[in-house]
Amino acid sequence: MFCKLALRNVRRSFRDYGVYLLTLTFGVCLFYTFNSIEGQGALRYLAKVGNPIVNAIMLLIDIFSVVVAVVLACLILYANRFLLRRRKRELGTYLLLGLSQSQVSRLLFLETGLIGLISLAAGLLLGVLASLGLSALTLSMFEIDLSGMLAITFSPKAAGKTVLYFGLIFLLVMVFSGVQVSRSKLIDLIHGERKNEVLKPRPLLFAVLQLLLGVICLAAAYAILLCFGMALAVAILPLCAAMLSLGTVGTLLVFRSLSGFVMKFAQNHPRFYYSNLNMFTLRQWLSKVHTTYLAQTVVCILLLLAIGITASSIGLNNTLSTMTDQEAPFDITVQNRSADHSGPIDFPARLKKSGFEPETLLSAQLDFSARYNDPAITGIADISSVLALSDFNAICQLQGKAPIELPSGGYLMLDTWGDGLVTGSLGLSAAVVEDEVAQQLDVRRQYWSANYAGDRQRTEEQLLPILETLQSEAQLRVDSRLSIYADMMGNKILALFLGLYLGFTFLLAAAAVLALQQLSQAADNTRRYAILRRLGAEETLISRSAAQQVALAFLLPLGLALIHSAVGMKAANDVIAYAGKVDSVQSSLVTALVLLIVYGGYFLATALACGRMARNA
Amino acid sequence: MEEILKVTDLTRVYGKGGAVTRALDGVSLTLEAGEFTGVMGPSGSGKTTLLNCVSSIDRPNSGSILIDGQELTRLRGRELARFRRERLGFIFQDCNLLDTLTAFENIALSLSIVKAPARSIDKRVRDMAERLGIQDCLNKYPYQMSGGQQQRCAAARAMVTHPALVLADEPTGALDSKSAGMLLDRLESLNREMGATILMVTHDAFTASCCHRVVFLRDGKIFLELRREDRSRKAFFQEIIRVVSGMGGEMADVL
Repeated sequence: MFCKLALRNVRRSFRDYGVYLLTLTFGVCLFYTFNSIEGQGALRYLAKVGNPIVNAIMLLIDIFSVVVAVVLACLILYANRFLLRRRKRELGTYLLLGLSQSQVSRLLFLETGLIGLISLAAGLLLGVLASLGLSALTLSMFEIDLSGMLAITFSPKAAGKTVLYFGLIFLLVMVFSGVQVSRSKLIDLIHGERKNEVLKPRPLLFAVLQLLLGVICLAAAYAILLCFGMALAVAILPLCAAMLSLGTVGTLLVFRSLSGFVMKFAQNHPRFYYSNLNMFTLRQWLSKVHTTYLAQTVVCILLLLAIGITASSIGLNNTLSTMTDQEAPFDITVQNRSADHSGPIDFPARLKKSGFEPETLLSAQLDFSARYNDPAITGIADISSVLALSDFNAICQLQGKAPIELPSGGYLMLDTWGDGLVTGSLGLSAAVVEDEVAQQLDVRRQYWSANYAGDRQRTEEQLLPILETLQSEAQLRVDSRLSIYADMMGNKILALFLGLYLGFTFLLAAAAVLALQQLSQAADNTRRYAILRRLGAEETLISRSAAQQVALAFLLPLGLALIHSAVGMKAANDVIAYAGKVDSVQSSLVTALVLLIVYGGYFLATALACGRMARNA
Repeated sequence: MEEILKVTDLTRVYGKGGAVTRALDGVSLTLEAGEFTGVMGPSGSGKTTLLNCVSSIDRPNSGSILIDGQELTRLRGRELARFRRERLGFIFQDCNLLDTLTAFENIALSLSIVKAPARSIDKRVRDMAERLGIQDCLNKYPYQMSGGQQQRCAAARAMVTHPALVLADEPTGALDSKSAGMLLDRLESLNREMGATILMVTHDAFTASCCHRVVFLRDGKIFLELRREDRSRKAFFQEIIRVVSGMGGEMADVL
């Protein structure tokens, strides 16, 4: 009997609470997708080339998963509370019919279990597809063609973890609903139709003052962030606390007073106020303010986090990828750091001896030395090494840059560590001097750089072991483009994964909270729409009013969050700009797109459902 | 006198095949301008069905409904909504005020819906509120008002657009006798002063006794029609009671 009733209720909730199931499924899908990255192409590639970042990524994903699980647990509990409130009358009827409270609790247990099973199965299925998509995305970021690494995989470990975490969450929900039912009184359940909140009409001045105070708080928070910059504003605790609390209070005040402000404003403009159903729509908005302003503040902050994190991670990503080319002008550079006492090594000869054919396998080679700086000869103080002009021009020629000329007795100071001259870096501060001057100085380090001719991967695999054997006679440091690239890709993927993971979670939470709230209100509103219809209001006006209410709820937090994040991104860009230039236009566009898809999807689904409820009222 | 409502041979059948219920079975009724007419009858006699058909919420199977010269059964969709909001006013048993709007706004809403000029709304609402004696609670929300005040507010909402016909479905059904008396008083004076045409469905003989005439329905047919003529309300009430007790059955329980 119970099973049948539970099944029937679940089937009904498919229709009524699609958003709840959708959210559960998305949550499971998100959780699985990011926990299964170990088996995804990009990480398998990084693991294959022995990149240590793989472990770091896995560890961070593990830690962040706990955060995500907590957020999702709060979200699901919140959603469940909404559903229970909507079902008060139904639960009251069960009790009235003579079911005991423990029986009703058991019924809810069964329902939650069933819904949990369904959403777990659907979420895992979706997750397998989503992880394929994420895999394709990350693999496409590599410059090397790795499409061979793409395959549909199922990670039992990630699935197990997902089932464990969500099992715990569902257990929590079950206990929660059980407690909720056992603590409620029958009379409250039967008369569970929510009463309208008591509205105290406040004078216009009050709303204006609140709004003004809110705007001042926000302006102060923005000022702190922009004046001190993100690095300081976040690192110094009093500043950080002041900024966050001012921002939160400001947001809260704006959401609390905005509707009253608009309302009073509209009332002074009868032409607007009395046209169509504007009066009704505004009143609806105002009547829910005290239940929604907290939620809207939370949603606004979640959206801010989602936008900020996603945009920064994508921005950082682009920064990292432009850095690769600067750091690795050659396929490989070997530094002989003991060249000053053991002398330079004849790399081509040694390679040939070990069975490596430099003539066929390498397309170009370059061997030069950095020499000790003697201020007495060069006339340059504060520099630890010098390069000969002919060597420097050879590097330029190989890199396709124009050679330079020095005036007699002149020199050229290089950037801090001679970035971009060799793969890796010189590791010394250096200046370029004329050949005649350089020849008077002792050799300090030898640099041998080369470009591969054929298959880079295979060439490097042949070359590295030989260089390894040379370590015994000299202190060598090997930097290859492929290894730097793999490091970069590791960082890139780390930033992208974590950013997307958290960003999506917060976005999902924000959108789901709003959708549930709106749907629940729409159900309350059906009676009101029926009255409007009886009064002869046109269908289009009623549907429009329903859509406007949903739009107000979704767009207001989004609008404020966009303003917040525009300010935040400006500050964050200054920080990231230390590491490199951020392509903020592109990252903003991608963020907007991601936001549009998830948030817009929820908005559309909610607006459609609310419209349907209004039409069927 | 001008005919506001002319119902001819109205039939409404529920169900199919063997299990048919004839809720209305050839009802004909004419209301003249400024008439205050009551419809009585036991449960299941077709009162509400008649009201639903006249108010265009339900559609009859056959027959015609002419309101102010317009054939209601031929209107569809938008035209119907337009007709409903411009020519009809409704008062329901559970007054159906919007709980998020103040009394003033509830009354103003029906003016908004008929797209009345914004400038005139304030005056019209206050005017009508005064006629119904609710000018003091215009800024209150429905839950802050008594049941009687709510129902008078609903009456004001129905009347403020000056509809050709006001349809009232058990308007005193949920009220105590004092509030009911006050509401009927106001309806009567509105009928007298403004010449509003009212069709009221009721269970209650006392409520019915303030009408000009009362139509009794039974099993979907008009069973009897009483006119008040020049009699006092008390005498009319006595006669209604006599008919009701004569009808027997459920209707007699009302006493």
